[in-house]
Amino acid sequence: MDFRFDLIVHYLPVFLRGTLFTIGVSIVSILIGSVLGLGIGFGKMAPRAIYRWPFHLYINFFRGTPLYVQILIVHFGLIPAFYGTTNVLMTSFIALSLNSAAYSAEIFRAGIQSIDPGQREAALSLGMSKWQAMRFIILPQAIKRMVPAFGNEFIVLVKDSSLLALVAAPEIMFWSNTMKGQYLRIWEPYLTAALIYFVLTYSLSKLLNYIERKV
Amino acid sequence: MGIGKKWAMSALAACFMLTMAGCGSNNAAGGNAAAGESIKIATDASYAPMEYMDTDKIKGFDIDFIKAVMEEAGVKYTITNTGWDTMLTSVQQGTEYQAGVSSVSITDERKETYDYSIPYFESTNMIMVKEGSDIKSALDLKDKVVAVQGATTADTLMSDIMGVDNTNLKRFDSNAVALMELNAGGADAVVADIAIVNEYIKNNPNEKLTGILDKENFGSEYYGVLYPKGSEWKAKLDPAIKTVIENGKYAEIYKEWFGEEPDTAALLSAE
Repeated sequence: MDFRFDLIVHYLPVFLRGTLFTIGVSIVSILIGSVLGLGIGFGKMAPRAIYRWPFHLYINFFRGTPLYVQILIVHFGLIPAFYGTTNVLMTSFIALSLNSAAYSAEIFRAGIQSIDPGQREAALSLGMSKWQAMRFIILPQAIKRMVPAFGNEFIVLVKDSSLLALVAAPEIMFWSNTMKGQYLRIWEPYLTAALIYFVLTYSLSKLLNYIERKV
Repeated sequence: MGIGKKWAMSALAACFMLTMAGCGSNNAAGGNAAAGESIKIATDASYAPMEYMDTDKIKGFDIDFIKAVMEEAGVKYTITNTGWDTMLTSVQQGTEYQAGVSSVSITDERKETYDYSIPYFESTNMIMVKEGSDIKSALDLKDKVVAVQGATTADTLMSDIMGVDNTNLKRFDSNAVALMELNAGGADAVVADIAIVNEYIKNNPNEKLTGILDKENFGSEYYGVLYPKGSEWKAKLDPAIKTVIENGKYAEIYKEWFGEEPDTAALLSAE
């Protein structure tokens, strides 16, 4: 099969812009998502069931429905309700952050709960406060266990951001579709997009391996 | 144990057959297919009224047109809803599907990859805006936010006017989402094929929309049947397409779908 590298070269500048958009949106979303996720994760560990259920509902909603639909709801429902019009950048941040928060919450909760309760009891019996026990004994151990799961979540997020092409966010798949439309060729745009995602996620996983060894 | 396994197997087989049947493959035998030749055609049935799914049946102008052509040529055919991308790749390869019929506009860039039949449909792009908009022509769209379905000629035309890398040109997966963007206030205009725009305005009278025709900047374009490069089907089917357009069958189908007479003379001289 013929493969037109000249078309890819022609589109390379916009693909690079799309890559920057993807990277930017992914970084912002993972940051907002993990802050929200931390809160939601603690919420889900609340001592009384009545406090737990909203967090429980949140996690189940965002994990139990396709991101595809979530993006549509945020873009055509949530954002216009606040702004009066759609805003693709806000859609990108909010849809990905809310989705990522649900997964991060479970990563935090699993990480913290994986630490043997004896550790906490020992810390308390040494005279530490609950907060100190969490801060100095539990979290340092838990974070070490969370790093691989977090890395996984970040990689999934980068790939899932491709769904934003649905609402015309100018990311990698958007430009890939643009290129497809001009030439009616499939492999040049899609394989280029795949390669860019691969390079992104592969470098990310290398970086995370490094962090894992350092922590 | 044994019975349970058998049950599971038959259930699986039943599911499989249901899926196959659900693919939306309309089998239609040609009139006098003495030679026993047959062609498999792919389409993206999401472009009402040109081709669309009515539950599990493919309908539309293109579908009726290709039926007439195949009857004229005496060729057996099947038409399958494969979606746009699959249609493009499989027609390019030409092994599973030997043709694509899906309102595909003929452009020089696309001719580098595919062969086309003679033109069988004249279309133009149209601008759709909300009532009271200050947009009067295609050139007014230059600094506006415009929604189109990506990979269409509307996309190509607007890319030329606004710049291919202009992110104010929003490309959506389908016209339906592009129209939603206009309604949600995220775009000033939608550009799409005239048939699509008219159909949408007709079906949504409450949304206060108007269509703007700009013959100067959006010239006529023509749909063709898509073939792989070097396909022998072009030579076989082009005469049948010509006959169907000339003998009045085409006008009959056209009137049925669009309620008006086609300009067949322009169509025949278009190539």
